[in-house]
Amino acid sequence: MVSWQTRTAKLLSRLTIRQSLKRELSVADMRERIQAMERFFPNVPDDIRIEHEPGLNHCDAEWLTPGAGPTERVILHLPGGAFMTRFMRAERLLLARMCRATNARGRLVFYRLAPENPYPAGLDDCLEAYQQILDLGTPPEHLVISGMSAGGCLALAVLLKARDLGLPMPAGALLMSPAADMTEESTDGSRVSNAARDAVLSLERGDDIRRLYLGEHIELANHPYISPVLADYTGLPPLFFQVSGSEILLDDSHRCAQRARACGVSAEVEVWDRMPHGWQALSFAPESGRAIARLADFIRERCP
Amino acid sequence: MSIQTSEKSSNRGQTFMRTLRQDHAGLSRIMREIDTQAHRLAEDSEGARAILVDAFRYLLRYHHAFHHPREDRLFARIRARDEALDQTLQQLSHEHETGEQETRRLAEDLARASNKELVGECGAELVDRINDYLRHTRTHMRHEETVFYSRAEQVLSDEDWLDIIADDGPDDPITDIRTMRASYPALARSLDEPTSHLGLHRPEHSSSHELRLQMLALTDLYGGLMHEAIDLTRTHFQRLKSVRDPVSLMRTAGTIYADNLRFAGQCVTRPSRWAINTGAGLIVGWLKPYMKQ
Repeated sequence: MVSWQTRTAKLLSRLTIRQSLKRELSVADMRERIQAMERFFPNVPDDIRIEHEPGLNHCDAEWLTPGAGPTERVILHLPGGAFMTRFMRAERLLLARMCRATNARGRLVFYRLAPENPYPAGLDDCLEAYQQILDLGTPPEHLVISGMSAGGCLALAVLLKARDLGLPMPAGALLMSPAADMTEESTDGSRVSNAARDAVLSLERGDDIRRLYLGEHIELANHPYISPVLADYTGLPPLFFQVSGSEILLDDSHRCAQRARACGVSAEVEVWDRMPHGWQALSFAPESGRAIARLADFIRERCP
Repeated sequence: MSIQTSEKSSNRGQTFMRTLRQDHAGLSRIMREIDTQAHRLAEDSEGARAILVDAFRYLLRYHHAFHHPREDRLFARIRARDEALDQTLQQLSHEHETGEQETRRLAEDLARASNKELVGECGAELVDRINDYLRHTRTHMRHEETVFYSRAEQVLSDEDWLDIIADDGPDDPITDIRTMRASYPALARSLDEPTSHLGLHRPEHSSSHELRLQMLALTDLYGGLMHEAIDLTRTHFQRLKSVRDPVSLMRTAGTIYADNLRFAGQCVTRPSRWAINTGAGLIVGWLKPYMKQ
């Protein structure tokens, strides 16, 4: 059974976020609306300490440390928001809850957004954050990278680029409904079959998002750093996908996992029934708590 | 010579701690599986029960038989060296005991229950108990990590480590898939699955699926209209705020009227077709006698 809290959130998302995505709003308007919606998300609990130093060169980033004796684990989290906007409070709270569940320190990267900073600015910021964590002495086996939606795409891109650059791989990756297919052909499968059922995302702005994120590099849509569904996953760490069965991004997770397995990489997919996109961040819903407990299990499994 | 012995024992300490961490990794994997299967009990009682019974048996045969005694030996040594942790470690040891009892009870209740007892209210109670068990176990693991993981290597001496490691048990069978397949076949099969479905309901009837889709489409439609209306109202307020004199008021009223006509792409204040037809009919009827003349 889906909880009443999640049902309510789905209805509200359908009436607000989905409508904003369906309509031709400017990026500024969309950001303004999201900021207004963010007021409904609580602040991080008091036992989580937030620090900004050491920072990154081109964007804001935060360190989240749980009060109860953190271990050596570090979670590098990349927020979602269609590469153009972000739910700062919701993502901060999500990471805080993951940190608390795993006694880990968290690194939240507010990478530069399109259209002001199109590809590869965001990816460069995320890679810089990854490199910085390693430079600070965190053993890669104690590091996990996570990302939601567009952040999931960036998390995969960071892994692929870090591998290509010869950097050490983290212990694992948590991918919450990654938007991993930016190609023009990405208009079949779950993107069509779930178009009506998805309570948050809408296909209408797909072209706009691609155009704004890629800027002048629109021809790069098939590049593995932009569409990781097309990547070679050889050498990547274990991947753990969480996705809802009723969202348009369902197939992205399945396709990435299939390719990863074909390359000998462990890839698990959890398909949650009737959840809205990004339900892990709904701190008031029981399903969110369950999802985070399972993400924490995976982290503990890969970073003992 | 003594330096070499000390290095050896500290290496032993590290290896021992690594084993404990690996045990927690295995335990976390099983927690995830128990969570998956507990929520499937009502739909696939037989399949989920077999996996859950395997999982609880595995916990009894390895974690409660070897992992917790290992930790208890470690706790005893740390308590002897660091009195500040005495109460906390005693609590953790107590949780090992209660955890074992609850694991045993759950394994027995699951194995004994008829298929009917796994669904409905009885089944829901069992799922609640399993959820409580998962919550306690995860909190316990988290607590252990914060309390003694870092302390152990700081406060324990070489002698302590030698004593703790003296009668160590086997490795976690979860690291060897062949052992798992032989001893816990249902659990091993499930752990091998690359995709898990969470919270799946029974397949919907096609007519109710259609109805749901129609309801969603209507919600989308009215959601869109609501946004249009909000935007329109906001624009009207802004226009009214900028009124400075009677002329601009007249102009604003005209614009608002025209915008209302175009609301949501259709003229909402336009008279309906029946009203136009009836009006036309009345006029024609009234004019008819004159036209005949």
